[in-house]
Amino acid sequence: MLISLAFFALAALLAPVLARVLGPRVFWLLALVPLGALAVSVSAAPRVFEGEIVRESLIWVQHLELALSFRLDTLSWVMTIVVLGVGALVLVYCERYFAPDEPGLGRFAGFFIAFSGTMYGLVVSDDIFLLFMFWEATTVFSYLLIAHYTDRKASRGAALQALLVTTGGGLTMFVGLIVLAAAAESTSLSEIVASPPEGGAVMTAVFLILVGAVSKSALVPFHFWLPAAMAAPTPVSAYLHAAAMVKAGIYLIAALTPGFANIPGWSESLVALGVVTMLVGGWRSLRQTDIKLLLAYGTVSQLGFLTVIAGFGSRTAALAALALLLAHALFKATLFLVVGLIDHSTGTRDLRRLSGLGRQRPVLAIVATLAVASMVGLPPTFGFVAKEAVFTALLEGDALGILALLGVVTGSVFTVAYSARFLWGAFARKEGVEDTEVHRDRWDALVSPALLAAGGIGLGLVASVADPVLAGYAVAFPAGGHEYHLALWHGLEPALGLSALTLLLGTALFWKRERVARLQAMVPATVNAADGYWKVLRFIDRTAARVTSTTQRGSLPFYLGVILLVLVATAGTSLVLNETWPTSWRLWDFPSQAAVGLIMVIAAVAAVRADKRFTAVVLVGVTGYGLATLFVLQGAPDLAFTQLLVETVTLVAFVLVLRRLPRRIGVAHGRPRHRAVRAALAVVVALTMSIVAVTALAARSTEPIYPEFAELARTLGHGVNVVNVALVDVRAWDTMGELSVIIVAANGVASLVFLDRRTDDLVRPRLTRGRRGLLRQRPITEPSRPIGRSRALAETGEKRLAWLLAGRTLAPENRSILLEITVRLVFHSIMVVSLFVLFSGHNAPGGGFAAGLVAGMALVARYLAGGRYELGAAVTIDAGRLLGSGLVLAVGSAAVPLLFGADALTSAFIEGELPLFGHVEFITSTIFDVGVYLIVIGLVLDVLRSLGGEVDRQQEEEDPRTPHERLEGRADA
Amino acid sequence: MTALVPLVVILPLLGAAGALIAGRHTRLQRLVTVAALVAVLAVSVALLIEVDRQGALVMTVGGWEPPFGISLVVDRLSALMLIISAIVLLAVLVFSVGQGMADGDDETPVSIYHPTYMVLAAGVFNAFIAGDLFNLYVGFEILLVASYVLITLGGTGARIRAGVTYIIVSLVSSVLFLAAIALIYGALGTVNIAHISLRMQDLPSDIQLILHVMLLIAFGIKAAVFPLSFWLPDSYPTAPAPVTAVFAGLLTKVGVYAIIRTETILFADSDINEALMVVSLLTMVVGILGAVAQADIKRLLSFTLVSHIGYMIFGIAMGTVAGVGATIFYIVHHITVQTTLFLAAGLVERQGGSTSINRLGGLLRSAPVIAVLFFIPALNLGGIPPFSGFIGKLALFRAGAETPDVLIWVVIAGGTLTSLLTLYALARVWNMAFWRQESEVETYQSSLLDQLSEAPGPAQQQESRNSPALMTWSTAGMVAVTVSLTIFAGPLYGVSARAGENLGNPRTYTSLVFPNVVDESQIDVSEGSGQP
Repeated sequence: MLISLAFFALAALLAPVLARVLGPRVFWLLALVPLGALAVSVSAAPRVFEGEIVRESLIWVQHLELALSFRLDTLSWVMTIVVLGVGALVLVYCERYFAPDEPGLGRFAGFFIAFSGTMYGLVVSDDIFLLFMFWEATTVFSYLLIAHYTDRKASRGAALQALLVTTGGGLTMFVGLIVLAAAAESTSLSEIVASPPEGGAVMTAVFLILVGAVSKSALVPFHFWLPAAMAAPTPVSAYLHAAAMVKAGIYLIAALTPGFANIPGWSESLVALGVVTMLVGGWRSLRQTDIKLLLAYGTVSQLGFLTVIAGFGSRTAALAALALLLAHALFKATLFLVVGLIDHSTGTRDLRRLSGLGRQRPVLAIVATLAVASMVGLPPTFGFVAKEAVFTALLEGDALGILALLGVVTGSVFTVAYSARFLWGAFARKEGVEDTEVHRDRWDALVSPALLAAGGIGLGLVASVADPVLAGYAVAFPAGGHEYHLALWHGLEPALGLSALTLLLGTALFWKRERVARLQAMVPATVNAADGYWKVLRFIDRTAARVTSTTQRGSLPFYLGVILLVLVATAGTSLVLNETWPTSWRLWDFPSQAAVGLIMVIAAVAAVRADKRFTAVVLVGVTGYGLATLFVLQGAPDLAFTQLLVETVTLVAFVLVLRRLPRRIGVAHGRPRHRAVRAALAVVVALTMSIVAVTALAARSTEPIYPEFAELARTLGHGVNVVNVALVDVRAWDTMGELSVIIVAANGVASLVFLDRRTDDLVRPRLTRGRRGLLRQRPITEPSRPIGRSRALAETGEKRLAWLLAGRTLAPENRSILLEITVRLVFHSIMVVSLFVLFSGHNAPGGGFAAGLVAGMALVARYLAGGRYELGAAVTIDAGRLLGSGLVLAVGSAAVPLLFGADALTSAFIEGELPLFGHVEFITSTIFDVGVYLIVIGLVLDVLRSLGGEVDRQQEEEDPRTPHERLEGRADA
Repeated sequence: MTALVPLVVILPLLGAAGALIAGRHTRLQRLVTVAALVAVLAVSVALLIEVDRQGALVMTVGGWEPPFGISLVVDRLSALMLIISAIVLLAVLVFSVGQGMADGDDETPVSIYHPTYMVLAAGVFNAFIAGDLFNLYVGFEILLVASYVLITLGGTGARIRAGVTYIIVSLVSSVLFLAAIALIYGALGTVNIAHISLRMQDLPSDIQLILHVMLLIAFGIKAAVFPLSFWLPDSYPTAPAPVTAVFAGLLTKVGVYAIIRTETILFADSDINEALMVVSLLTMVVGILGAVAQADIKRLLSFTLVSHIGYMIFGIAMGTVAGVGATIFYIVHHITVQTTLFLAAGLVERQGGSTSINRLGGLLRSAPVIAVLFFIPALNLGGIPPFSGFIGKLALFRAGAETPDVLIWVVIAGGTLTSLLTLYALARVWNMAFWRQESEVETYQSSLLDQLSEAPGPAQQQESRNSPALMTWSTAGMVAVTVSLTIFAGPLYGVSARAGENLGNPRTYTSLVFPNVVDESQIDVSEGSGQP
């Protein structure tokens, strides 16, 4: 069975390719696959007939007990015959049905054969979850096949409808299967049915599973999808929606009934659903004028019929169910194929326009009549045999059986009536309607329907041979009073009378069809299940729209508010539940801490309320400097130093950005009420956080690890500065990560300012030997001209050397000669200091981070004094390269120890005597620190370059006036 | 083999450095970055094999013994996350290289994009191997700052707007995370995860609950758990297609990963499973309703992303070994499938010039390959068997069925509904964008589309462009990965289940970092026991 499935899969994959080469003839080739699988089934027949269960299994997901386990017992054997036999014949039929230029032929062929394979898998699966997999897969292929004519809106809608309805049912069933598997502690269908678990959960599970079966087999209230699915090409209707897929639900019911027929409500609900479906389908069928739809409703009706008998749960009923299933597959597939041929040769399926077809296509008419004979239950067809068995089985039953019998007899009357209507509609010559024009198909198009119809008759003739085969399924049920056997002739039994009665009444109903039509027109269709589907969809869409517009408001304050509310609610709840409160309160170590804290709070609150951007930035800076102060008070000079530098650089960056922003922070956000709510939320969050902090800190019961750090740093890190050793050695991995953060931050600034690529060169004043004179300074008293480009540089021929190379590129009114001189004098000193801070950092306050910031400050000074050209002159290396090199150093010192078999970032300590230097100590973590240093410089450079230089440039571009004119303009205003 | 552990961070960072130094040499940049990720993938494969054989690998960085130094821990969960992230990152990188070569890097300036992308990768990998809570924070910071840059790439108005939402919400979550670390350090005096786990036992359970809640909120924002999830659909979809793909696949999962560690190792004794259960239900249902209401495919997918986070939280909330194992499998599945769908959506956008199903049509005919590349992962996400989405759901539900509880059944029902609605939303996309003819689009009327909302901002209909082969191939590669998750579900689920078992008892984890230690008091912090 596994091998057969593999062939199906292969065929499905190859079909589109083959179809391109072979055209419709590909279907002949594809028909070999189900035929091959059929041969496997047939060869297994002797074993199956003897009651043996043929098994195959391959473990797939062991931990989930999910296995590709298959079994072949009588029920599935019969199903495989139906699925594969009908499948092969329909494929043969396809070759005639499709024109060589049919769009999407390859796709269709692939889906069709894939469907066939999954359907085969479904009926031979033993693992219930494997069965479910095939179950859902058939749904998907049905979706794809129904919408074969993708350019028709109705096809697409019907496909979606079938998908949603059957998947909805399928998922319900899935939950049921989960419960069932948990209760049974097994996933094997045969095991579960053999020893069914009990209990309330199992009952629920079984009914959930039934929902799946009911939706798949198009029973009321889900029946509406099946007629809509007739938008598919006829072979699909014949195979999926008559013979195979819709039988899956019946199959599942039949498979479960031996185990669960005793569950209260099982038979009752199935009989009720079945009867209602049978009547609704029959009734609707009588109203159809499209013969394909007529058959579709007929199928709905017959599926109801099948459900009644499959769920009834007695030995005779089981036998009858299997016989009816087989009969139905044969005659219904035939009829659909016939309709396909009619459609093909006349171009219509409307029975009001079809006329005289019987004369023109006698063979077709005979085939159809044979199938109809089976459908209405005329002897000697198999349909007759099956129907007899059904009636007998129900007669054997109790009150429920009688009720069911009443239902199915009425339903059968409808069946006879619509069958007659079908034959009449398709083939009769009608008064007032011209004979339909027919163009002939080739004779071989009839092969498949003819074979199927013959099968219906043939089986009827050899009913007593079929009996022992089908009985293999029925033996699962307790034997009744006497053993019933399928046969053409049982004598003058009540069942025969009932058959005759249905035929009589049905014919009468057909005879009086005009009166029936009037009657039907009078009965309003109060409940329309298809409308229900649309209503549900619209309800879902509306609910979704409403829920989403409430939650997804596109408002950041709302999102933040929700987050903070959740914080308050959950942390607040945990505080309410808390019983471990601090026993003593220590407010501060030094009172000055409180003072600094107060200043920080005031600054923070004021920053929120500030309406000028610059004010806000300065106030935020105050909180930062306050934090630095707290560090100082705690005796952490290193942290304080770094914090101060960070604050300063941040401030510079902010100021550079603020040039491009309006001075004021817009008007107050939102209405006063909103502001009040926000303020309240802020206060509540602050209180919660404070209480949480106090509580958590007071709960400490164990020694923290930090007291050991100083000792560790000295003895193992070879440094006195604990912070530095922590940064570059103990927790250097963190630092390495944060370095990449710095790099990315620099990248981000560049990304937003340059927008296209970061490698834009820093503009540099041309500094070539021959043009040295260009760099002479102009007297600052000279009236401004638009300078700032090298062309401008070339126009001036000054004599004096510049203090700063690019100073003269600035407009005179923007220059400060004093600043230029100062910067010129201190720049190199600052750089040297930064190097000192870098290398002394291990034992004294400092280190790579602080040193980098110091160097960065030097660059800031150059930029402020001389503008972007000066920056270019100061650093001739691309910021990206600087960042990259720093990262290589830092990451390299993580990687290199690995080569020596040590842990990443392990440092080595080297000391020795060097001439001139004397005793020298070197710890390799310093290399890491150099990486830090370079990266921090790179960051500052990038920020200056983009927020400074590039923004300058953009401003100049946007404002064609010279800086001088701008200044004048401002003075005028 | 331990030496492989830090390489997963070192290699991408070296790649980033290389990309920065390569600067203008676009081809060299591409080469360096792709090579780095290929190397990481190889390392991850080796790690998974090794770790699955012997349980775990631990490196103490710089040789500083825990709890002083930083421990990097790769257990089965970490190794699985590493390998799947490496695959996703690599595929998306190749996709973006293809896009860049075609568009002259308009959308993704290479000089910014490549280094940042590599840093993002390093952050993700670091988060998965961090054995130290503060280092986990650093990992988050790395990937978040990188994501800030990537989400605002190109600096268009829409991206800046989306970026502001994203950045501010992420900053709030980072602050909360940092505060939680501070609180934990305050209460326990350590940040080493194993050490925290050991010391946590001695903390009163009410204090545990406070710390637990604080940490979960921080992670919940990153993982986009309802109601902390609203920011996500407003920010992800506006980024360039490859960026959205990698964000959707990986970033939220890092949050989920952190939640798993929180629930199983840090706060193994503190039980808030019922609350998590309710949250998971709401995440699923509210999320998928959002998806149903969208016309824009990228936005729709962002909502399915949120929704399916609910499944993972559900598995965690069960608090059982089976539940965690199922969750791990589901994460692996979801990372790949969600990324694949976003890549496919990127292809759709190029082909159709839009991602709104109100404007798309005829794609089946005009781009059959894209149709296949969209359809398979769409079914997978919808939980249609035999794909991994189904197996994941099967595993979760079966794990849930082990502990019969009304609440669990309610969540299972919600999960089933979510699955159906996911399928509905995606099938509608298929019906409209792929099946519907292009000629129908102008005059199309259907109640299916009535209630849909478009992405905010002006509708942009771009010209239709062909997708470079590299983009299609990398998407196809991802589709192949999603399918192979199904085929090799057996071994994969085996690893996931064993990973879940590793997490069943927090002592399994702590004994990796502190071998032979059963009781916290055995860890000597009073004498320097640092470097060997």
